[in-house]
Amino acid sequence: MSTGEPDQIPVTVLTGYLGAGKTTLLNRILTEHHGKKYAVIINEFGAVGIDNDIVVDADEEIFEINNGCICCTVRGDLIRIIGGLMKRSDRLDGMIIETTGLADPAPVAQTFFSDDEVRARTKLDAIVTVVDAKFFPARLEDSHEAEDQVAFADVILLNKTDLVSPEELKAVEAQIRSINKFATIHRTKRSEIDLATILDRGAFDLERILTVDPEFLHAAKHGHDHHHHDHDHGHDHGHDHGHHDHDHHEHGDHEHAHAEAKAPAGAAHVTRHDSTISSISLTIDGPIDPDRFRMWISTVLREKGQDILRSKGVLSVEGEDRRLVFQGVHMLMDSNWGQPWRAGDGRTSKLVFIGRNIDGEALRRGFLACARPA
Amino acid sequence: MQANGAKGPPRRSVELGAFVVGIAHDAAGGVVAAATGAGKVVLLPADPLAQDAPREVEAHRGASLAFCRGPSGADFLSGGDDGRLVRIGADLQATELLKARRGWIDGVAAHAGRSMIAAVAGKTVHLVTPAGLHELGPHPSSVADLCFSPDGSRLAVAHYGGTTIHLTQKPAEKPRSLAWKGSHIAIRYSPNSKFLATSTQENALHVWRLASGADMQMQGYATKAKSLAWTHDGNWLVSGGVELCVCWGFAGKGPEGQPPLELRPPGDEPVLITRVAAHPAAPFVLLGFADGQVHVADIAKKRVTPLDGPTGSPVSALEWSPDGWRLAAGTEAGTLRLFDLRPRG
Repeated sequence: MSTGEPDQIPVTVLTGYLGAGKTTLLNRILTEHHGKKYAVIINEFGAVGIDNDIVVDADEEIFEINNGCICCTVRGDLIRIIGGLMKRSDRLDGMIIETTGLADPAPVAQTFFSDDEVRARTKLDAIVTVVDAKFFPARLEDSHEAEDQVAFADVILLNKTDLVSPEELKAVEAQIRSINKFATIHRTKRSEIDLATILDRGAFDLERILTVDPEFLHAAKHGHDHHHHDHDHGHDHGHDHGHHDHDHHEHGDHEHAHAEAKAPAGAAHVTRHDSTISSISLTIDGPIDPDRFRMWISTVLREKGQDILRSKGVLSVEGEDRRLVFQGVHMLMDSNWGQPWRAGDGRTSKLVFIGRNIDGEALRRGFLACARPA
Repeated sequence: MQANGAKGPPRRSVELGAFVVGIAHDAAGGVVAAATGAGKVVLLPADPLAQDAPREVEAHRGASLAFCRGPSGADFLSGGDDGRLVRIGADLQATELLKARRGWIDGVAAHAGRSMIAAVAGKTVHLVTPAGLHELGPHPSSVADLCFSPDGSRLAVAHYGGTTIHLTQKPAEKPRSLAWKGSHIAIRYSPNSKFLATSTQENALHVWRLASGADMQMQGYATKAKSLAWTHDGNWLVSGGVELCVCWGFAGKGPEGQPPLELRPPGDEPVLITRVAAHPAAPFVLLGFADGQVHVADIAKKRVTPLDGPTGSPVSALEWSPDGWRLAAGTEAGTLRLFDLRPRG
């Protein structure tokens, strides 16, 4: 089994509905003198001056894995392109993957959970979604892609703020929050933003993401230091060739000691009135039983994964100094050891679901049952 | 650079400084060539006891992504992420053969008997024959790998949803499609042309019996197998993606319902096999490991013998010389090792 991979290249996925300002942002990344070397994987490449970066032209080639499970889709072209980029001798500071305006962000995110080689070499840093402040309300009416892109986001650029009134801006921000209350929102004009705030920010490891949620009272503050992970992809593969049945939803896996603690819990739930997508956050004031949690989350994602777009969690495991950081997209999931707990941290276990038809009460009961009894 | 180790067969280790993408020997067996992730092609004597310094040429602006011996037997072909297919002569002369309209050239194959070259550019395969240049495809997705049939009459192409077999002498004719769900990433004809094997993204091998079109699936691999090898007689199929040398038997009735032969490499700690290479004339398979070890599996004697220890970097390329006495192994970190197994004394 692989142990730590210190040289995982951070990957930023750039989504946004047609006309939101994604291309403008991409051109900024390509032309700004940021002193970094990025590989930018894009769909259609116009004439842009490039200094130092590598631009790769990609087709969004999506295929179903796990015997054609319709929500277990990955981007095969990305697996091939990342494999090719890893052969190059120049060191990359990051990769940026653009998706087309109508794209579902799931296949690209799932690619980073499902391919061993991609997992070993790269790390999904953040899904960044550019939202058009003026037209987003209309987009919500006529396309579920615009809504999905917001639901998947770790970071949202609320763009073209100069084209709307302060009231409209407030309203659209509230709309975004009702879909996804965990993403960091930056208000921008013409996609103007300090690239350092969206690239290589360690967003996908969640620790900072979860701190922005006001519901999480115990959330600890962290600086902008880089998070280190031990990848421990304990795959469930034996050597009985020819008759081996894989549990395709068990992707990340951890071995760790059993924990003991008490656990009162609370749940917060926000639902939009004009949308089917909602987000829910769950907390346990203490450690979880990792085995029970793994069984429960596997079942939840297997049964409800089509509706659950994103799941994220930072969990406390007794006897373990580091946070267990969990993330999922539909039925695929991954987990890593994150930053160690510090003295004075609340050691609260937190979990977030974003999706359609979320049964908050059932999830809350299920999560509470994973608490380590006193 | 070092020569000859104290024990074992003569060996030489050369640092190329970049990912070893592919290795090929010339047909005469005197020269070994390697292509790197820095876009260079390096030539040196295949004899590990030779002291000649490696000679190199820049074949691509970025990385080489695919490499093989050219049809003449005396030159080499490299495809790169600059979209170029380049021929490298023994004199290090680099000649551009093709330039893709967009994207990379990340697959290349050659057939000596019919003087053909095939190169992958996205969904298209460029086939160069003495009769001219043909564009095959577009295929259902980007092409991941390709290979000629042993007699060169066919070119098999791996992509999503299965494989496509083109007739090289009638490239305009409708190709044969063999379907199997999933993404196929490597493809090899059996030496007797009876079978076509692929490996898939889903950690399995798939084999078609070409006469009937019947197919079979082999599962249980730890990860996807990027390297496939048939023994010279077509009796055994071996692949990477697993920690044991798993040999599927294709002599007689084939592997259906039979467990594979599993040869366990010596050592306590299991290590993933990343590359395999079948000997040209005997049931030996070279195994390259994720930690840089190189072993030789003797299928007849059911024994795996270590040839060289770990370097710390996965074996990324592995080739026998045409006469089967020498071999070369390259790693992701850029170490090229040469060995000579000729009996001494």
